[in-house]
Amino acid sequence: MNNRFGIKDFVTIILLVVVLLAVLLSMVQKTRMELALDATRAKLSEIEQQTMQLQRIVEKGFSERPTVVMAPGAAAANAADRGTNDAWARPGVKIERWPAPAPAADPTKVPGFAIGGEFVELFEAQPAKLVPFISGDVYYTRVLDRVCEALATFDPKTLKLRGQLADGWQVDPDGLWVRAHISPRARFSDGTPVTSEDVRWTYVDYILNPLIEAERTRSTMDNLKEVKVIDELTVEFTFKEPLFTNAINALGNPILPKAYYSRFEPTQINQATGLMMGSGPFRFERLPAGPDDLDVQWTPGQDVVLVRNEAYWAEKPPLAGMRFKSIKDDLGRLVSYRNGEGSMMLPTSPQFNTVLKEEPDFEKTNYALKWVNMRCGYSFIAWQCGPRAGKELTPFADKRVRRAMTHLLDRERMIRDIWDGIGIVSKGPMNPESPASDPAVKPLDFDVEKGKALLAEAGWIDRNGDGILENEKGDKFEFEYTYATGGEISERLARFVKDSYAKAGIVMKTRPVDWSRYQELLKLRDFDAITLAWGNNAPESDPRQIWHSESIKEGGDNFIQWRNADADALIEKGRRTMDEAERMLVWREFEAVIADDQPYTFVRVAPWLRFVKRDFGNVNTYRTGLEPQEFFKTNSATAAPAPAGG
Amino acid sequence: MVNYLIRRLCLMVPTILGITFMVFMLLALAPGGIGAGLSVAGGQMSDTSKAAQMQAYLEDRYGLNDPVVVQYARWLGRISPVKFGERDLRMPTGDRIAAPRDIAEPPMGWAFALPAKPEVVFTPTLGEGQVDEFKKLQRDAEGARRSYIGAVRFFKDTLADYVREAGAPWISKLEPKGGAEPDKFRDLAIQDSNPKAAALKTAAADMHLKWAKAEETRQRAHIAFRAKPYPESGIGIIPGLVSLDTPDLGVAFSKNRPVWDLIAAALPVTLLINAIAFPISYLIAIPTGILASVRRGGWFDVGSGLAFLSLYSIPTVLAGVFAIGFLANKQYLGLFPVSGLHASGAENYTFLPYFDAAGTWHEGWLLDTLWHIVLPILCLVYTSFAVLSKQTRAAMLENFNADYVRTAKAKGVSRKDVVMQHVFRNSLLPLITMFVGIFPAMLAGSVVIERIFTVPGMGSLILEAIDLRDREIILANTFMIACVNLLALLLADILYAVADPRVSYE
Repeated sequence: MNNRFGIKDFVTIILLVVVLLAVLLSMVQKTRMELALDATRAKLSEIEQQTMQLQRIVEKGFSERPTVVMAPGAAAANAADRGTNDAWARPGVKIERWPAPAPAADPTKVPGFAIGGEFVELFEAQPAKLVPFISGDVYYTRVLDRVCEALATFDPKTLKLRGQLADGWQVDPDGLWVRAHISPRARFSDGTPVTSEDVRWTYVDYILNPLIEAERTRSTMDNLKEVKVIDELTVEFTFKEPLFTNAINALGNPILPKAYYSRFEPTQINQATGLMMGSGPFRFERLPAGPDDLDVQWTPGQDVVLVRNEAYWAEKPPLAGMRFKSIKDDLGRLVSYRNGEGSMMLPTSPQFNTVLKEEPDFEKTNYALKWVNMRCGYSFIAWQCGPRAGKELTPFADKRVRRAMTHLLDRERMIRDIWDGIGIVSKGPMNPESPASDPAVKPLDFDVEKGKALLAEAGWIDRNGDGILENEKGDKFEFEYTYATGGEISERLARFVKDSYAKAGIVMKTRPVDWSRYQELLKLRDFDAITLAWGNNAPESDPRQIWHSESIKEGGDNFIQWRNADADALIEKGRRTMDEAERMLVWREFEAVIADDQPYTFVRVAPWLRFVKRDFGNVNTYRTGLEPQEFFKTNSATAAPAPAGG
Repeated sequence: MVNYLIRRLCLMVPTILGITFMVFMLLALAPGGIGAGLSVAGGQMSDTSKAAQMQAYLEDRYGLNDPVVVQYARWLGRISPVKFGERDLRMPTGDRIAAPRDIAEPPMGWAFALPAKPEVVFTPTLGEGQVDEFKKLQRDAEGARRSYIGAVRFFKDTLADYVREAGAPWISKLEPKGGAEPDKFRDLAIQDSNPKAAALKTAAADMHLKWAKAEETRQRAHIAFRAKPYPESGIGIIPGLVSLDTPDLGVAFSKNRPVWDLIAAALPVTLLINAIAFPISYLIAIPTGILASVRRGGWFDVGSGLAFLSLYSIPTVLAGVFAIGFLANKQYLGLFPVSGLHASGAENYTFLPYFDAAGTWHEGWLLDTLWHIVLPILCLVYTSFAVLSKQTRAAMLENFNADYVRTAKAKGVSRKDVVMQHVFRNSLLPLITMFVGIFPAMLAGSVVIERIFTVPGMGSLILEAIDLRDREIILANTFMIACVNLLALLLADILYAVADPRVSYE
C-alpha cells in the first residue's frame, strides 16, 4: 500500500475544509438573519400589545358615553348599516337579538389580570388534520372553536343558542326556514368583513360541494333546500322538512371566508393539513396566503400554534396565544405538565386521584377540575335485542332479562374499582346536564334478588342444580361479551362483568377483537352483548340515529336492533316539535321509555378531568366545557389565584 | 459480475410483485377487510340511510366493490412507472387528474328496461375559460355520480323490502349487513301484487333518471378532459396507449392525504434517529466483541457479556418509562425533555446556538433537536449491543483457532496485525450479513419508542395504518421496505466478494 501524502490528497483536504467552512458560515449568516427577525418580531408584538391596551381604553370610553346624535339622513343610513332596523327580517315573526359575543366571566374583574402569555394545552393524540369540515376528531374541534365562529353557539351557562356572528335571527315557528342577520362589525382574521355571501358559500360551495370531502357534515345537510342571500348581511336557509335540528344545522356551523378558501383547488383543500381561517379570537400563527405557500401550513408532528387575532371584532382574548402539543404517553404527558411544558392536561382517572392523594400541595399551584358538562358521553353495555347476525334471538330479546342484567351489575362499585371512583352512574342516553334529561328518572338499583326474580319470571332457573341457569328447553344461560382491545380499562371491565354474572348463574364468555373487526361486527349485528361509549357535542342530539327502528336497516347505528313503537313515536314527535320547552318534555318521556326497557345497561357518565396551572386566571368550568379565550396569564405571584368552579 | 448483477436485478421484479400481492391478499382477507377504516373515519351519521349511502359512495370512490384482483391490478398500474391508457393531466399545483371513471349501468336491467345511454355531443371551450369550464363540469359530474350511487343504494334497500314481502325462498339471499344484491334475484319475478312493487318501480325509475344524468355529465367532463385544460402528465411513448410517469403511491383513506406526503414527513425523523443510533451501537458493540474475543475468559469478556446481556433483558417499555420518570422528570433529575422532537417555540429558534447581548445562552434548533432525541436513542441503542458483540466475538473466536492464525503468530506477525488483518477480516462475512439488515431497519421505526416519546416516525404511521386497515399506506411501506431489503441483500452479496476473494460470481 502506498502511503505517500500527495498533492492530490492535499487539494482534496483543502476543498473539503472549504466546503465545510462555507456550510458553517452560511449557517451563521442564517442565524444572524433569524436573530434580526426575532428582534423585529418582539418589537411588533410589543406594539400590538400596546395598541390593544389603547383600544381597550378607547372602547371602554365610548361605551360609557351616550349615543352620538347625528343628522337624520346619516342616522338612518347608519342604522341600516348597523342592523338596528329590522328591514332584513320577515315581518310578523319574532326576532331574537344578540349583542356581540362577550366572555361569560369578565377576566378584567379578576385580580391579577394581565394581558399576554401563552397557554399550552397537552393533547393525548395527534390530530390528523386541521381543515374545517374535513377533519372530525375532538382535537380538531378544540382548535376550531378558537379559530372559527358560527352564526350561533351554545351559551356556556344556559346551554341555549346565542348569537356569535349573528346579531339576530328568526326561526320559522313551522320549522321550514331560518333567517339570520350578521353583525356588521364581524370581520375575518384577515380584516375582511363577514357577509351573507360567505355564509352561502360555506354551505353551498364548500360543505355541499361534492369535490370537497366534507361528507360528515354534508350528510347532516340532506334536509337543507336552499341558502339565499337576502342582502349583504342577511341570509336565509330553507328546509324540506320541519325538524328541530334545522336551526342548529343552519346556525351552528363555522363560517369560512370565501375570498380565502376560493384561492385553493378542492384537491388542495382536501389534502391540506392546516388550512383553518375564520373570525374567531385566535388565528393560526402560520397560515398559507395562497396555493403557492402551502408549505408553511401546520402538519401533524408539529405543535399547533395560535396567536391572538388582533383584528378580532368582538372583545379580544387576554392571552397572546395558545399552543397545542401532542404527547401520546400518559406518564410522559403528566411529567411534561409537571415540568412546566404544559398549562393544561387531561389526566387519567388514576393519575387524577394519585396526584391529589399523594401531594396535598398540588392544588396550591394547580387547579384540579372535575365536572360534568354537555360534552360528556356515556359508556354502556348493549344487549342484542334482535336476532344475532340474522339467525336466532338472544336471551336479551326479553325485556325482563335486560332489566335483570342491569339489576345484577353493581355500577357504583364498578366505577369505584375500575375508574377509581371517578364518574357517575348513567341512567340513560340523555346527558345529565341537558334539559332533555329528567332528574326524576333514576338509574335502576343494584339488587341481585330483584334480578334473579326477573330472570326466573322469564324462565331462567337453575333446573339441574349445577349453579347455572337454564331455560325450559334446558339450554344454559350463556352469552358472549364483545369488546375492542387496546386498553387496560376494557379488560378490567370485562372481568368485573363476568364475575358479577357468574354469581347469578350466568356464563359469560369474553371475545376481544380489534377495532376494525369490532366495527364490522356492529354492522353485521353479530354479537350478544357489546360494550362501547357514545360521545356528545351538544346539549341535545337527535335520538333517531341510535334508537329508531328505521336505524336497524342497512348497518345503521341501532345495532342492537331494538324496536319499540312508543320510542319510535316519541322520536318522530320530538323531531317535529319546534318549541324547545315542549320538545324537552317529549325527550323526557322518551328517556323514561328507555329507562323502562333497558336496551342498554348504562354504565357511566365520564366527567371531564383537567389539571390547569394556577398561573392562569379566570379558569371557570362551564356546562359547555372550558372557555380558554377568557383565561389570562397572571402577571405576578402576588395575585391571589381565583377559586375554580362556575 | 455484471451479468450476475443484471440477473439479480431482473429477479427482483417478480419478487416485489409477489410480496405486494401477498400483502394485498392478506389485507383483503383480514377481518374487517380493506378500507374498514373508512367506516371508522366516517364518524357519526344522523340517519341510517345516509350512513349506508355514504358507505356506498366511499366504496365507489376507492373502488372497494371490485374484485380484489382488479383492485390489485389498479394499484400496480398506479405504482408502475409505465402507464397504459389515457394519460393523466397535471394541474399547475402538481396534482394529477385522472380521466373521469366509467359509471356502472343500473342493476336489474332484466326487470327494469334500461333507458338509452345518452350520447353527448359537446364542444368544449378552448383557451380562455377552458379551465373554469372543466372545473365546473368536473363538479357537476361528481355531484351527479354521487346522487346516482345514492339512488342505486336506495334501490337496493327497496329491493330488500320487496324481497322481505316476497317471502321464504328469497329472504335467505339477503345480505347479512342488510340490503339486497340484485344479481342474486335474477329469477325473482316482479309482481304488482307485492305491496312494495310500486315503491320498487319508483326507485328504479329514479335510479335510471339519475344514471342518465350521471352518464351525461360524465361524458361532458370526459370530452372537456380530452381537450386538455391542463398539460398532460408524464412522457408519452405510444400516444394514447403507453406513457411513462412517476409512480403514484395513492391517497391514504384514513387521513385523506397523499401517502407520499405522510412518508416524507415521517421518514426523515426515523432516518435521523436511526442514523445516529446504528453507528453508536456498531461503534461500541464491535470493538467490544473484538476485545472480548482477544481476552477470552478474562474479566473484560465476562464483564461486557454480563453487562450487555442484562441490558438486553430490560424491556424497552420499562426502560422508556424509567427514562421519563427519572431522567426527564424535574422532580428527580430532569435532564432531558419528555417528549417530541423540539421544544415549544423551537420553530422560531436560530439554527446554531449563541449567546445574546445579555450573556444568556440560547441553544438553537440544532442542539435542541439533538437534546430531544437523546432519550429515544438511548432506549433504541442499549438492547442492540448484546447480539452484535456476541456475534463478533463468536466469529472472531472461530478464526482464532484456525491454522493460518497459528502460522501468522509463528512467523512473528505482531499481535495487532494478527487480530485486525487476519482474524477480523475473515470474521467479516457474518457481520456483513447482519450489517445489510440495517438498511431496511433504518426505514422502520420503533413503535414502542415512538409512542413513549411521541416521536412522529414511521413506526406509528404504519401501526396506525394497520389498525385502520389503510391499504395505501401499508402497501407503500411494504413496497418501499421490500425494495430496500432486496437491494441490501444484493449489496451483501457484493460485499462478500469484496471481503473474501474466494467468493466470485462469474
